[in-house]
Amino acid sequence: MSKSLVPETPTGPEEPAVRAPTDWKTAAMQKRIRRRYAREWRFRFFGFAAVVLSASFLAFLLVVMVANGWRGFTRTDVALPIDFAASGMVVERSQLATPAADLALAGAGLENAVKSAAATAFGPGGEDFISENAWLRVRDAIKRDPSLLDRKLRIDVPASTRIDQAVRGDGDAATRAAAARLQQAGVVSRHFNTDFLLESDSTDPVAVGIWGALKGSLLTMAVTFLIAFPVGVLSAIYLEEYAPRNRWTDLIEVSINNLAAVPSIIFGLLGLAVFLGSWSLFGYQMGPLLPRSAALVGGLTLALMIMPVIVIASRNAIKAVPPSIRDAALGIGASPIQVVFHHVLPLAMPGILTGTIIGMARALGETAPLLLIGMRAFIVTPPGGFTDPATVLPVQIFLWSDEVSRGFIEKTSAAIIVLLVFLLAMNGLAIYLRNKFETRW
Amino acid sequence: MSDAPHKMSARGVSVFYGDNQAVKNVSIDIDMDKVTAFIGPSGCGKSTFLRTLNRMNDTIASARVEGEIMLDGENIYSSLMDVVQLRARVGMVFQKPNPFPKSIYENVAYGPRIHGLAPSRTDLDAIVERSLKRAGLWEEVKDRLQDSGTALSGGQQQRLCIARAIAVDPEVILMDEPASALDPIATAKIEELIHELRGRYAIAIVTHNMQQAARVSQRTAFFHLGNLVEYGDTDQIFTTPREERTKDYITGRYG
Repeated sequence: MSKSLVPETPTGPEEPAVRAPTDWKTAAMQKRIRRRYAREWRFRFFGFAAVVLSASFLAFLLVVMVANGWRGFTRTDVALPIDFAASGMVVERSQLATPAADLALAGAGLENAVKSAAATAFGPGGEDFISENAWLRVRDAIKRDPSLLDRKLRIDVPASTRIDQAVRGDGDAATRAAAARLQQAGVVSRHFNTDFLLESDSTDPVAVGIWGALKGSLLTMAVTFLIAFPVGVLSAIYLEEYAPRNRWTDLIEVSINNLAAVPSIIFGLLGLAVFLGSWSLFGYQMGPLLPRSAALVGGLTLALMIMPVIVIASRNAIKAVPPSIRDAALGIGASPIQVVFHHVLPLAMPGILTGTIIGMARALGETAPLLLIGMRAFIVTPPGGFTDPATVLPVQIFLWSDEVSRGFIEKTSAAIIVLLVFLLAMNGLAIYLRNKFETRW
Repeated sequence: MSDAPHKMSARGVSVFYGDNQAVKNVSIDIDMDKVTAFIGPSGCGKSTFLRTLNRMNDTIASARVEGEIMLDGENIYSSLMDVVQLRARVGMVFQKPNPFPKSIYENVAYGPRIHGLAPSRTDLDAIVERSLKRAGLWEEVKDRLQDSGTALSGGQQQRLCIARAIAVDPEVILMDEPASALDPIATAKIEELIHELRGRYAIAIVTHNMQQAARVSQRTAFFHLGNLVEYGDTDQIFTTPREERTKDYITGRYG
């Protein structure tokens, strides 16, 4: 081999011309440095102030909610002496162990017996001191132990809303005096209200529970997630990885972005028209496709609403996966679908989940579209399935906040606390999942 | 030039990005026992041409290829050619080391697994070990195969990528400036590795570094503005170039 023409060392750029050294101590230079520090300080101050402001708003919200709401989780009981032997109630004992027990006790006039016992114990008007549903508590006690019917007993029954409020220092003077009398007699006690977590809506604020709305929310969210997540993620994958770049995909992209900004009540009308409307197809008249007020319809409507959010977030997450990873997989002969499911999707998952959390949180707090599809009905039994009439937490809050009775104020706050806890639990789960999927490259 | 059939041969290949022609009527052969280097200034189309050899340009929507590229006498741009199989037969190593964010073992095992090359776990282990040995990485990583591939140094990552490419037993390996992001010691290891791989695989390498082209290749192709200016034995190109432009480039007059 003859001598190579390639130079041994690459030729570098020429040395720069000699220049006077910079004087860092001139007045102008010092001033510039001072200004730079001042700007830095100002920026940090404003940033810190913004954080403090938003944190104090949050703290205010939480303090007010908890201060008002904790009483919603408690219940005032009154110890009521009852003498069944003296009440002259006739009950067929043999029925007490059968499912007909409720009917037998109601038919025997248990409600009146309890009311008159209250009137006897607490004087005239005493029947107003106990809740309208107090006799149900007595009924359940008798079913557990039929021998109570032969005895004199004292049983804790829920106080009426008026007494409940008066014990806490609310209400008119007469009721407060009555409550004070009861307290002096030592018959008033306060408990944690487990019924609030186990029961559903009622006209009596003492008897209301949140479980029906909570279960409705759970069912609705399940439908929303099962529809919106797969459809949203698959749309995003198709648009990012497969769809040709042309006018049609641009149009779809613009439409999705616009859809994300459409007010939620419009989606409610859409759900009403599509899922609950009547259709005329080929001359056949078809009734509503789905039952109204159901978690299924609510979930579908909310899924329509949050799908654009999931699509946009997923597309951004997929876009952020480095192209070198795609090249690497394609370069050893992975098919496009293998590239997506083995490499792109796992790496995009944290971002996709973040978008999904935002969408689901929005769906969980949404009220307006659900009002339109009938989920604002007064429902006293928790939904048994996706097609049963149901309501959800924010709608329940809306309904209670509209009630006249003062007892509903604290129940509203208590329901808000339950909603916030639900939201935190959902976010916590999502953050856990996101950290699990997180990989660094 | 030998009379033996070429492993790959390109005839009259042009590549367009939209209306812009990036590669103009290029004809080159790639042989089994030789390393072919593509050199030329930035933007001369050498990387673009390399990527046509395993149809990586298919991923760019606006790219269009004309001409004929044969692999063992089969046109890789014919509709009968399965792109996935082609890329398993013609592997690629990229400029920036790009291991998957998975364990070292998974990085190498991924290719054999998706192509069903290893019927059992033992076979897969054997393939991983053989590939890492061939890539000269085995001694450094044999005790930490479950560590993340991205935790390795740059040079080790690039050798991991080479191990990943050879794990699917390709016939041709394309390298797109494989050492340009590495320090001199890692570069030397890669060059040594290319020497060892020659003969087992047909190798085409794009490089900016002319000393590197002179050291590792037996054939050199000089590209300029999309044209193949000169193509021949490396010794001849670097000592007695026929074209003035080649001479100007390799003596550092422009670049």
